[in-house]
Amino acid sequence: MSSSDQNSQANDSSVNQQAPVDTSNNSTTHFGYKTIEKDDKISMVAGVFHSVAKQYDVMNDLMSFGIHRLWKRFTIDASGVRPGNKVLDLAGGTGDLTAKFSQLVGRDGKVVLADINSSMLNVGRDKLRDKGLVQNIEYVQANAEYLPFEENTFDIVTIAFGLRNVTDKDKALRSIYSVLKPGGRLLVLEFSKPEHELLNKAYDFYSFNILPKMGELVAKDGDSYQYLAESIRMHPDQETLKGMMENAGFEQTTFKNLTGGVVALHKGYKF
Amino acid sequence: MLTSKIANELLLPQVLTAALELLINKALLLNINKGLSLQTVSEKTLTLELAELAFPLSFTVSSQAKVMVSSLTERSDCTISTSVSTLKKLKEEQQITQLIKQGELDVIGDVKIAQQFAAIAQSLEIDWQSELAKHIGDVPTHKILQFGNKVTKSLGKHSTLLQADVGEYIVHEKRLVASSGQVKRFNQQVADVSNKVDKINSRINTLFSQLSSKK
Repeated sequence: MSSSDQNSQANDSSVNQQAPVDTSNNSTTHFGYKTIEKDDKISMVAGVFHSVAKQYDVMNDLMSFGIHRLWKRFTIDASGVRPGNKVLDLAGGTGDLTAKFSQLVGRDGKVVLADINSSMLNVGRDKLRDKGLVQNIEYVQANAEYLPFEENTFDIVTIAFGLRNVTDKDKALRSIYSVLKPGGRLLVLEFSKPEHELLNKAYDFYSFNILPKMGELVAKDGDSYQYLAESIRMHPDQETLKGMMENAGFEQTTFKNLTGGVVALHKGYKF
Repeated sequence: MLTSKIANELLLPQVLTAALELLINKALLLNINKGLSLQTVSEKTLTLELAELAFPLSFTVSSQAKVMVSSLTERSDCTISTSVSTLKKLKEEQQITQLIKQGELDVIGDVKIAQQFAAIAQSLEIDWQSELAKHIGDVPTHKILQFGNKVTKSLGKHSTLLQADVGEYIVHEKRLVASSGQVKRFNQQVADVSNKVDKINSRINTLFSQLSSKK
């Protein structure tokens, strides 16, 4: 199924920008505003990211006016990474966080860039190799719900702008908890709910009217960016995600709103 | 001083560290001093805690000889807590002990790391003329630098003159100039004298009128 087909229904919903009522049950989940079978989500999300992989970095800069770089820097600063640490950059895509972590953990450390999507992983690997970052980075194609690592492996796990695309977020959080070492921490950087109503409205207008057009113009794929806007609205808000992390076993869970809550950084520890 | 909350809301630490990182790595790229090597500080971190900033600045040299700037404090090999004004005094090494005693400077960790970072910064050499010529050509570069030199010389001349005038004022003239308090007191005294003169004038007029009525 092409991304265009996947989102034909989503396009109609751009008229009404309010997120629909959650109608998902145990066997279904969301793909943007659509309710779909859980088994279909992976391939549908894969379709989106195969389509945008090559233009991903350019689009990120355009869509966020470059602010995504500051959000990622904030994540690095909040991670407390030390030389020798083992870091898992989950849904790491084109490797922005991996590049920074790789230089901060040094020769004795290790960074694993994991993504479920092979196209994103390839773009990330090429980009990092072009930067000369080769010595302490490993690449793994993995599903966040079934992480192929031993228990208690990583000091830090990050997932930046990836959790909302995961089919079963609770399962993914439990899987992440399992691979973290005691004392390790998870950092979730994700779009969230703006704190102020005015900002929320402006953000809605931008997301549903301008963003898909930019996607069409630059990446020749407006539908994928329509999905992006919808998936952000369907993602749990700050407090809900905090609760989900706590349910998965994380302790001292906190979140910090960035840019008025457009993005939030959640942090939780495994003890 | 910027409060930590406002700085974080505006992502100021990230803006500043990103700008510094860009500047430093660009400067390293343009460096023409072949003797400069980052090997001595490879994978080392120097952290600056400035009184004027609500967040620390950490400079880490990666094994790829890139400098990374962050607000991380967890991995520092040497942390210097001071202020911008004291930072300028650090050029004179003999002052360091005195500054620590005065509480203006606090160093935690290996001070050699800080010295190695400082040595690298001082040995940076950038041929601005060649860099500019690459972009705008030789002749415009020559003209711009000629103009720049003239402006610098002229500014230097004016600065010397200004310094001399200010010095003259501070050393000699300032002592002779009446203070605002003195001027105020003088004005009060003049007003008092004026009042007394008015009273005497009125008294004389009264006496004259009494004299003329007796005649």
